[in-house]
Amino acid sequence: MNCSRDLIEAYMDEELDPGLRAAVEEHLANCPACSEEHSRFREQKASIRSIAPYYTAPAPLQQSVREALRRAVASESAAMRRNTPWRWLAIAASILLAISVSWNVRRAQPRTAENDLVAQNILSDHIRSLIGTHLLDVPSSDRHTVKPWFNGKLDFSPQVKDFAAQGFPLIGGRIEYLTDRNVAALVYHRRQHVINLFTWPSSAPPVNEGSFSRNGYNLLHWTDASMTYWAASDIPMAELQQFRDLYEK
Amino acid sequence: MAANDPAVAGRMIESDAFVVNHSEINPESRLRLFEEIVLPHLNAAYNLARWLTRNEHDAQDVVQEAYLRAFRFFDGYQGGDGKAWLLEVVRNTCFTWLRREKRNLTTVVFDEAAHTPPAHLPDQEEALVDAANRTVLQNCIERLPDEFREVLIMRDLEEMSYRQIAEVAGLPAGTVMSRLSRARKRLGECVSGRNMESGK
Repeated sequence: MNCSRDLIEAYMDEELDPGLRAAVEEHLANCPACSEEHSRFREQKASIRSIAPYYTAPAPLQQSVREALRRAVASESAAMRRNTPWRWLAIAASILLAISVSWNVRRAQPRTAENDLVAQNILSDHIRSLIGTHLLDVPSSDRHTVKPWFNGKLDFSPQVKDFAAQGFPLIGGRIEYLTDRNVAALVYHRRQHVINLFTWPSSAPPVNEGSFSRNGYNLLHWTDASMTYWAASDIPMAELQQFRDLYEK
Repeated sequence: MAANDPAVAGRMIESDAFVVNHSEINPESRLRLFEEIVLPHLNAAYNLARWLTRNEHDAQDVVQEAYLRAFRFFDGYQGGDGKAWLLEVVRNTCFTWLRREKRNLTTVVFDEAAHTPPAHLPDQEEALVDAANRTVLQNCIERLPDEFREVLIMRDLEEMSYRQIAEVAGLPAGTVMSRLSRARKRLGECVSGRNMESGK
């Protein structure tokens, strides 16, 4: 180890880690010049500690600091009290505002909320149909087989169309219970993907149309003169829209 | 002694942080907490201010002002070293005060007698060796530049670690070390020079 003033001071100030401290100790034992320097530092430090005055706070200072703090707090509290009526008014106003906003939101959006709920049910149903064994009650690519099958099982007669030529072959149908009623589920293929088309008579007033995407599934919702439709699949939304356009043609 | 136990100290710091973060509601309870955490360091605050201002009355004013400032910023205190936190405020208040003082010095009347550090009195030095040593040392410390004086006071009188001093002064620990080293060197030169003077 070389002679280092900095290390000697850090050693004296007890700022070295144990390894370095041991190295400095060893060096001091073997280097008279550094040892002498170290003694000088220690002497100086000792004289500062014993001779230089440590000024303790005069007793009145503690008192006056306490009083100054109390005055500061008192004026702060007074300011808060002065502001209190306004604060209450502000709180009351914001509560009123929150109530009126939520009221208006509720009035404006009941359909959307309902749609959301239906969309959730449609999606669950679609997924259930894929993981279970109950995809088809009537497995048939012949719409003249599928459509009559619904007769007597539903209080409406769904339109059954086949789009095999356009790449959306009909593979069958089943009955589902959704939105408090029995609905028709028409099942189509798109390459290896399944499309469930749920349909039932619209309730008045007609709900908003729209598309939803969740967890990699796409839902497309539309209505026509008398019927409500929900198409669910994992194919791209554009293809789902293409499917809708074919259906509505 | 319990507070020196690291485990206990750790818990205390944690609980400080917890309470402080929830103390914004009521000024009175905030004051109680402040008095508990910050008021015990009044002597350290005064000692630093006294050495930096070199004057008893100014030191008292500075300390009082610093405490009011610290209380205003108390919400910013996140627990941890209450002493270092307070001394940082004291130090900043001192330097603001010193700058103001310097401005007054140049714009108002230049009263040399009032603004030079208290001169040592040779008669006393010769009369009492202890008092002489004391005066020499005190004078030499007071003559150190502010940035050297503050690290020396915090290290050798306040017994703070390099890390704590770095926190208070807003400096890297390496700068604290080098300033401390230069402060000691200058102080040593000053003291031996004065002693040689008075010895003759």
